[in-house]
Amino acid sequence: MREAEVSQGRKKNYYDLLGIPIHSSPQKIKEAYRKLQKIYHPDIAGPKGHDYTLVLNEAYKVLMREDLRREYDVSIGQIRVGSGKGSSLQGYSSWKGPLRPQALFVDENTCIGCAECVHHARNTFVMDEALARARVRVQYGDDDSQIQVSIESCPVNCIHWVDTEELRVLEHLSRPQQKDGHGIYGQGWESPINAFKAAKSFHNQLKKQAKDSIKNARSTEEETPAQAEARINASMKLKMENISRIWSWLKELVG
Amino acid sequence: MAEQAYTVASDSETTGEEKTSPAFPEIAIGIDIGTSQCSVAVWNGSQVELLRNTRNRKLMRSYVTFKDEVPAGGVSDELAHEHDMLSGAAIFNMKRLIGRVDTDPVVHASKNLPFLVQTLDIGVRPFIAALVNNMWRSTTPEEVLAIFLVELRAMAEVKLRRPVRNVVLTIPVSFSRFQLTRIERACAMAGLHVLRLMPEPTAVALLYAQQQQQSAQENMGSGSEKIALIFNMGAGYCDVAITATAGGVSQIKALAGSTVGGEDLLQNLMRHLLPNMKDLFSHHGIEEIKKMGMLRVATQDAIHKLSSEMAVPVDVDLGNGTKISKFLERAEFEEVNKEVFQKCETLIKRCLCDAKLEAEDVHDVIIVGGCSYIPKVRNIVMSICKREELYSGMNPLEAAVRGAALEGAVASGISDPFGSLDLLTIQATPLSIGIQADGSNFVPIIHQNTTTPVRKEQNFTTVHDNQAEALIFVYEGDEKTVEDNHLLGYFKITGIPPVPKGVPEINVCMDIDASNVLRVFAGVIIPGAKCPPPFMEVRMPTVDDGHAWSAQTLHKTYGSTLDLVTVKKKGQH
Repeated sequence: MREAEVSQGRKKNYYDLLGIPIHSSPQKIKEAYRKLQKIYHPDIAGPKGHDYTLVLNEAYKVLMREDLRREYDVSIGQIRVGSGKGSSLQGYSSWKGPLRPQALFVDENTCIGCAECVHHARNTFVMDEALARARVRVQYGDDDSQIQVSIESCPVNCIHWVDTEELRVLEHLSRPQQKDGHGIYGQGWESPINAFKAAKSFHNQLKKQAKDSIKNARSTEEETPAQAEARINASMKLKMENISRIWSWLKELVG
Repeated sequence: MAEQAYTVASDSETTGEEKTSPAFPEIAIGIDIGTSQCSVAVWNGSQVELLRNTRNRKLMRSYVTFKDEVPAGGVSDELAHEHDMLSGAAIFNMKRLIGRVDTDPVVHASKNLPFLVQTLDIGVRPFIAALVNNMWRSTTPEEVLAIFLVELRAMAEVKLRRPVRNVVLTIPVSFSRFQLTRIERACAMAGLHVLRLMPEPTAVALLYAQQQQQSAQENMGSGSEKIALIFNMGAGYCDVAITATAGGVSQIKALAGSTVGGEDLLQNLMRHLLPNMKDLFSHHGIEEIKKMGMLRVATQDAIHKLSSEMAVPVDVDLGNGTKISKFLERAEFEEVNKEVFQKCETLIKRCLCDAKLEAEDVHDVIIVGGCSYIPKVRNIVMSICKREELYSGMNPLEAAVRGAALEGAVASGISDPFGSLDLLTIQATPLSIGIQADGSNFVPIIHQNTTTPVRKEQNFTTVHDNQAEALIFVYEGDEKTVEDNHLLGYFKITGIPPVPKGVPEINVCMDIDASNVLRVFAGVIIPGAKCPPPFMEVRMPTVDDGHAWSAQTLHKTYGSTLDLVTVKKKGQH
């Protein structure tokens, strides 16, 4: 009984279960949760509502706590941006004013460091002195017209409008990544050659990992759901630790 | 309703069966058994109605008088004078005594009551007796409660002109699960089936949810979420709950409760007026009982008057030169009961903290119960919640029973065409539940204030090489060591394979359903085994009397040979 119900819970992710989009605010989550409770709570649906309510309560607990929600999002291969208090992946640029669907992104692999963009929109762009590349410091830091001018002024067309949701991943991946090394001096840092491609594969990787872990959880009979969960959590933690290490390194670098 | 051939009352799981008989769902009645007063309410098809007894009273005194043959309770009986209840023949305050052992300080505090409460201080049931024809006749809190419930049931059946079987009872937040089984036992003795045992402030929260929903409908408002803090203080217990309400759903965020109430205020003041009270009344002679009754009535009277006056005269002549003549000021009363009021403060603060809320987040502050009329209590609540006025939409003495009646209707599957029953309570567990591990530590598996229904599990492992068996002690409470928590039960897991310590995986899973039934599943997990040993499923609590004893005996017999330790997990929340 337990096995079946848990796998049912896993098949549908918590957002599907609550029938809400992934970027829903806590308010929306609350509303959806209460609506479903009014249908499935054992007080109303009788004892058969028990198992469903268990999953519903767990989903609510996880999604209402920002830290748990962030971990959960990663585990199901989804990345939220900037909704609520925090975002799941902290990128580089900050926002002036409200979030907009489109964001600016400088492809630092193409950038030649001419500083034209910084000249035209100094509140938006900034030069990374260490890498001699431009990057976005504040989204929409200047007037729309100023930003437009700076985009057009770029000689190599490396300033892109991207989906806000993609921004964090792109910004994260365009940073130098720690290279897996095998020798004593093998470790180092490298940037992906194409940040857009890397973002795509990053997404796929996350999805695959999530899928694999579910498969594993189901295939080994002896493994309890709790163990599977623990393992997923642990691997997620490792992953998050890796990412945060990069960030802290970057912060030191940029100052 | 078809008579069941045989119902084992304490193991009744008949909610499912009853739900599937849709022809005439019996509407469960709501009962609020207070330490001092009691009331019954039911959904009458359009609203909640309080039932009145033959003397046209909605609130009845909770006591049972033992006479020659037939005991009589406060439902049908009417006392000529308060003194009659204090003759030694009447047992009251049973809600304070039920399910407690004789080492409990609350039981010791009850020794000053006119009837007999005898303790041996070894962790068994106290001996309770009523004075009948100059003899102490023994009884139990369960029996007294059952007699009282039989009267209530008879009254309700006459009023409703139908058999009454299903009930929703309100209970104090601080009741242990063992105490809940004693309440269920009393109900079963009275032929009642408990549909829900509802912590009192959560019943009030449901009434509040209904009121908010109605006012939202009237104002065509959006019915946005409202947070309410409910403070309930009666004669025996003090409870606090914080609820988030929207669209008729009351979601309990946090609960806190303690055994302090009007009875403590009364006893502290009695002791203040007559410092050598304990010595004077320790023998429970007939004359002493009479004197104690006089003092009790006079003190109670003074407390009531102090709610509206700043000072009252107290004049009691207890004979033999013991005379109390005093001008009692309100400040004096408050000073004498400083600790009780401090306890109230702590409870409210803890509840706010557990709900992760600030006083400013609370929209409405509701104060109910008999002690809600005491100015000091109101001041405490208002000052902690930082506001000038309290929610005024409900009768403080009827709110809990009305909420229970609403829950009774909802849980019976009744719906209302006008949407008045479009309600739901999402409960939370007031106390953590866990097992003993890592020595005598309490390791919670379900933490306090977790939304129910809930199922949680955790893995443990052995402490000795080749340990073949393990004892699972299930405890309830929020203290670090098991001794300070309530033992709910214990059982043994066998068939652990002979491997070094720390290798076997013992899985313990706990499940609480909507009717607050706790089941503990446990067993050893052997990877790769073709037919693993079956898991155990134990409905808790399983302990009977003397629960302090059984644990001690087990520890003495087995030491740490059957102990468990927690498995440290990464990413555990």
